Amino acid sequence: MSTMELLASGFSVVFNPSMFLMVCMAVVLGTVFGALPGVSATMAVALGLTFTYTMEPIPAIVFLVAIYCSSITGGSITAILFKIPGVPSSAPTTFDGYPMAQRGEAGKALGVALVASAVGGLFSAFAMFLLSQPLTQAALKFGPSDLFAVTFMGLSILTCLDGEHVLTCIISGLLGLLLACIGQDKMYAVQRLTFGSKQLLAGVEMIPVLIGLFAITEVLRQTNKKSFLNAKDGVGGGKVNTKMPSLKEFLAIKWTMLRCSIVGTVVGILPGAGATIASFLCYTMETKVSKHPEKFGTGIIDGVAASEAANNAATGGAMVPLLSLGIPGGNAAAVMMSALVLKGVQLGPLLLVNQPEYLSATFASMIVTNIIMVVVAIAIAKVFAQILSIPYSYLGPIIVLLALIGAYANQMSIADVQIMVIAGVLGVVVKACHLNSAAIVLGLVLGSMCEANFSRAYLMSKANIATMFFRPIAGPIMIFCIIMLFAPVVMPMIKKCKAKKADK
Amino acid sequence: MFELIVNILLFIFLGFTFFTHVLEAPVPVKVQKNPYALQPDVWPKAIIILLLICLAINIVQIIRRNRGKQDFTFSAFAKSIPVFLKSKMFLGMLILAGASFVLETLGFMLTAILVLFFYGLLLGEKNILRLLIASVLITLLLYIIFSGFLSVNLPRGTVGFLRNFALSLESLIGGIKGIF
Amino acid sequence: MKKLVCLVLAVMMTLGLAACAGAEFKFERKIDIICPWGVGGGADSTIRPMASLLSDILGVPVEVVNVEGASGVNGVEYTYKQPADGYTFMLGTQSLFMQDMSGTTSMDFKTEFKPVDVLVHSINIIAASKKSMDKYGVTNWEELSKYIEEHPYEVSVGMLSATGVDGASLGQTIADLMIQEIPYSSGSEVNSALVGGHCDLAITGTDEVAGLVESGDIVPILALCENRMKLYPEMQCSGELGIESYMGPWRGIFCKEGTPQEAIDAMVAAIEEARQKPEWQEFLKNAAYDERAVPSVEELPEFAHNEYKALRDYMSEMGTLTKDYEDLK
Repeated sequence: MSTMELLASGFSVVFNPSMFLMVCMAVVLGTVFGALPGVSATMAVALGLTFTYTMEPIPAIVFLVAIYCSSITGGSITAILFKIPGVPSSAPTTFDGYPMAQRGEAGKALGVALVASAVGGLFSAFAMFLLSQPLTQAALKFGPSDLFAVTFMGLSILTCLDGEHVLTCIISGLLGLLLACIGQDKMYAVQRLTFGSKQLLAGVEMIPVLIGLFAITEVLRQTNKKSFLNAKDGVGGGKVNTKMPSLKEFLAIKWTMLRCSIVGTVVGILPGAGATIASFLCYTMETKVSKHPEKFGTGIIDGVAASEAANNAATGGAMVPLLSLGIPGGNAAAVMMSALVLKGVQLGPLLLVNQPEYLSATFASMIVTNIIMVVVAIAIAKVFAQILSIPYSYLGPIIVLLALIGAYANQMSIADVQIMVIAGVLGVVVKACHLNSAAIVLGLVLGSMCEANFSRAYLMSKANIATMFFRPIAGPIMIFCIIMLFAPVVMPMIKKCKAKKADK
Repeated sequence: MFELIVNILLFIFLGFTFFTHVLEAPVPVKVQKNPYALQPDVWPKAIIILLLICLAINIVQIIRRNRGKQDFTFSAFAKSIPVFLKSKMFLGMLILAGASFVLETLGFMLTAILVLFFYGLLLGEKNILRLLIASVLITLLLYIIFSGFLSVNLPRGTVGFLRNFALSLESLIGGIKGIF
Repeated sequence: MKKLVCLVLAVMMTLGLAACAGAEFKFERKIDIICPWGVGGGADSTIRPMASLLSDILGVPVEVVNVEGASGVNGVEYTYKQPADGYTFMLGTQSLFMQDMSGTTSMDFKTEFKPVDVLVHSINIIAASKKSMDKYGVTNWEELSKYIEEHPYEVSVGMLSATGVDGASLGQTIADLMIQEIPYSSGSEVNSALVGGHCDLAITGTDEVAGLVESGDIVPILALCENRMKLYPEMQCSGELGIESYMGPWRGIFCKEGTPQEAIDAMVAAIEEARQKPEWQEFLKNAAYDERAVPSVEELPEFAHNEYKALRDYMSEMGTLTKDYEDLK
């Protein structure tokens, strides 16, 4: 089949009237599921499964892909409006999205988030359709030491997160890494650092810590204020104007969106990584690349665009190995795979050869979803924004409850709720000590992947660190990391030396 | 001063952890036997050592930066404690901590009503009746959305009548869903 | 007043008797089946089709609740906190037995839970990547095991848990175990590592690698079971080579001790009915779960005991046994 015929067959599936209606429904459902804390993208896809029991395999995958893409986008709505990421991968969206909402620019933040999402999603859809095979081959080249290098790169940017407090930033990152060690270790399930608590056995999850450090700390801070944040200074008279940012602003972040789409797609394909890691990596990468890194975290559109373009690009990335190898690139893709297997579809490298219509239908679904998603998500964001117009004496407690549900639903665990509260209280301490909550979360997210891959690489290289990094991918990345890590420490020293010499 | 105390406490705590709680269960014999396996205590220990070094530097820096400042004394810090204990923020923390501890026993619904009510009061809501009604309605709405339609099994509580109420509500939602 | 009380009592007793005489237990509201592992994993994809069949048969919603974390312990703890009223069941595998004996559960799983019915009992296979087989110049298991023996710690094998069931069954297959065991957090990571050439072997299920076997990237090399599998008749099995290694992961429904027997019986009957449905048969066939019979309900207690015993011996050898039951010694 030629590419054109493939495309035609794919779009004919999606534009079949009843199917198109289903896709629209999927987008609405997905966005709402994604926006609600406690329902991750994987859970959203699993909830969507019930609708697909009676469908044929191809419509089923079209439907599930639509839910998946839109739920990742939906997560940004609550992240921006309430500082509670609706899905874990929207966590970095809170860093800049929430400060913007507080300044009364919620509409702009949402607009950027949605468009960046669409750009990321479309980019990865094209990448998946056109480059599925080469991308898969490239991703398979990533061994444990390379994956370690990639995660380590994410960590090495710690020194740049806050230029004024480099040391406390590093301390925060290390604390995050240590938190990730709690519980049964990922390699041999040996219990560590639990202090005998059964509740810590499962480890410290990112979501409760993140919600605690961000949403709960924020509510606590507001509690202490004399005058409360209300709708007026929040988001323009209780109405969120989801006015699109101007074309000029979009043009200003075009490179950010493109870079993050590329990196997001690649990270989405990598085994063991996913949308969450993609968005964190891209956010930190952008702080490094940016001309004004100090503005990140204060509410700039670059931050929102980076995180949202990346996590939506990762959705396409996750589909690549699923379709080309039958290896799901993430949990949500794994759910789709089990849905297909249940229908007797044999996923594997031969799928693309024998039944390329799966690829084209998935592609068509992603394209259509990412376009109608922008419209649908704006409407849904308006509904959610209505919540912001109620007085803070009601809104504050509602945010607390949403945070509580978000923390609990992740693992149905009361311990996670307690961890969230503790993190919320500690968030106040963290601020007072100039520690960096974003760095803690970054360490926690990357920690277990970092350790497990280091451990695997160590085994495979027979405990030889030199051979471990003497590889075409890991080597250059590690050198880059080391420069990154030490540049902010060494550069001022060199400058000082030079200045001294000049004085003399 | 507070920053200094936190850093010192963290330093002591991590030092203690390093020697006592890094490994809390036996490492499987085959892992010990494998000469190429990274033992499970190496990574956390390395992180703790790095942390101890950074904290030590940080402590020195904090002392240097604040030396000679008037409020950099223990007595000044001691005076600030009662101020904090009377603050609304501390009350807020207590409500949250309380909620997380009664959540399992009382279930989501009663906990949610209590949080909405007391935190609402704390945030200065004057109209108590309206607050109470709103608390109940918001709770029901959240429970119906999450438990009924999103399969998020919120805690039903272990107290008999609360549990039964939650169950009957769920059956009711199930019944309504069944009609459609 | 007294008359009224008598009347009420009488009515209640009659109703009670009627309920007893009816023997058939009727589920009246939603049933939760706790899955202690994540959405999309092997355990989850086994229970979901069963749950939807059960829902049709029982006429009440049967919902799968994923409570993951701590290698399944979170799910066990969650189930343990629910009342034993017959409306909460749990999916379990033998890895929960191992968690129990390593002392990570807060209760004695062995006495506090009981198996209701085993849904699937699958066969572990050892699969090799084509590239590695060419590299080492081996074509079957005997040659491969000889190579492993001669080159200690040269061959690597990907698996889900080095200290769990996979590790135990690998330990039974390869004496001395001078092999690099590389744990991964998901089956898909194992597969990527195999296809990418980072790992030589994998201990896995046939369903995980089916697509890659078809394309020739992965070669199934040894089935850990008594007889050759119908699915891959070319593949050798441990039975014919005289290797004492037959352990395979099984997944069954458990309930808390104290759950009304009527509810358990009703559930067993429903599962029995679901087993006959074409959808379930199809599912078993697709995942090659139909190659090994599951123990019947009567055999369950002995089956569970034997599994406990085998795992206890393995753990005691590994030095990880922290909770030792008297009747297993």
